[in-house]
Amino acid sequence: MHSDTTGSWTPVALSADLPAGTVMPVQIPAGSLALWRTDSGHTAASADRCPHRGMRLSHGFVRGEALSCIYHGWSYAQAGNCLRIPAHPGLVPPETIRVVTHMVEEADGVIWVALGRPEGRPPGLEGLVPLRSLTALANIDAIAAAAGGKTSPQGIVEVASGTGTICLLLSRQDEDRTLIHVLLKGITDQAARIAAVRSTESLRRKAEDIHKKEFAQ
Amino acid sequence: MKLYDYILSPSCYKIRLMAALTCVKLDIHPVDFHPGAEHKGAELLALNPAGSIPILEDDDLVLTESSAMLVYLAAKAAPEWLGRASAEEAARVQQWLSFSGRLTASLGGARLTEMLLRPGDIGALQTQGVLALRELEAGLVEQSLRGMRFLAANRPTVADIACFPYVVLAPDGGVPLDPYPAIRLWSRALRGLDHFIEMPGIHRLHELKPEPHIEPGEA
Repeated sequence: MHSDTTGSWTPVALSADLPAGTVMPVQIPAGSLALWRTDSGHTAASADRCPHRGMRLSHGFVRGEALSCIYHGWSYAQAGNCLRIPAHPGLVPPETIRVVTHMVEEADGVIWVALGRPEGRPPGLEGLVPLRSLTALANIDAIAAAAGGKTSPQGIVEVASGTGTICLLLSRQDEDRTLIHVLLKGITDQAARIAAVRSTESLRRKAEDIHKKEFAQ
Repeated sequence: MKLYDYILSPSCYKIRLMAALTCVKLDIHPVDFHPGAEHKGAELLALNPAGSIPILEDDDLVLTESSAMLVYLAAKAAPEWLGRASAEEAARVQQWLSFSGRLTASLGGARLTEMLLRPGDIGALQTQGVLALRELEAGLVEQSLRGMRFLAANRPTVADIACFPYVVLAPDGGVPLDPYPAIRLWSRALRGLDHFIEMPGIHRLHELKPEPHIEPGEA
């Protein structure tokens, strides 16, 4: 995670898990966000709560360039302003109806959300190929311990695997929950990539055991 | 073909969904599962001594296992849903058909405990449910690396229909689906199929239809 005085970037999802025209829930320390991609490919992150009735917007749907609530169809733009209230077709929604939004950056197949107002851009991950994201019921220390404890300068935990390296980009969800983005370096053929999927399952089991023994309250 | 059905049962929905997707017309016989426990009454026990639904009746064939019903519908109306293009594909179909029983026991058990207050160790059922979801998620990630969007092939098979309902309804049993991106995409792909039908708690993809427009004063 890249930090400066005003804010930081946290990796919330892999680009491949958010095709155009879809929405997914993601976690940041302050709670859940609705991360979505418009039909034309722009990403946005909104508070995961419709101001109308409190329904999670991540249960909603994307049509065109707007995110709509599943409950009564209120639609929001990327900037968070309400575009449309279907039950009042003649009404132009007032500016005061809006959802809080977060800055989003996407690079090298990873989607980052701003916590606060970071000045720089998220760290580059050139040369790493995203494989999958998974959630572990373990803290970052337990995952690093399970992986053998080798951490790169960018804060990525590295595990040697055959001819290449499995890189774990970690995002803390809460005290005992971590989102792991698995990125591969030098592992390209299909069999080795499938083996890497299986080894991340084993690594999660190991990390959760360590967490239970050493960190859980 | 007569289906003894209950609208809120994910296992019954599997059969209604499969029939809809393969354009088979079912004669639906609603069963008062809750609160009437009609499936435990003499008439239905005579058909199915196990006292479970769904039950599918076609002439003298009586099926009481939902996976067998899926195979029957597919074999009769749409054999491509059987997933028999290769030995691996056929084996994967059987693997996930059997696995679907674990989803019913864990996620389905948690749902019955939470929704109908059936006795059960909710913590243990949820833990088993999470393990099953993780296995399914890993299976789908592996399939995507093979260039396949569904559990056994690059097209849906009976295995997908057998697993889909209890997975999507996991939150009814207090098991969140947020942590599973591959399951989310798989669920989207299934809900986007032609002739897809809903059940309470499993909705269609609204975005596939154009935005409805109502003139002011019309509603």
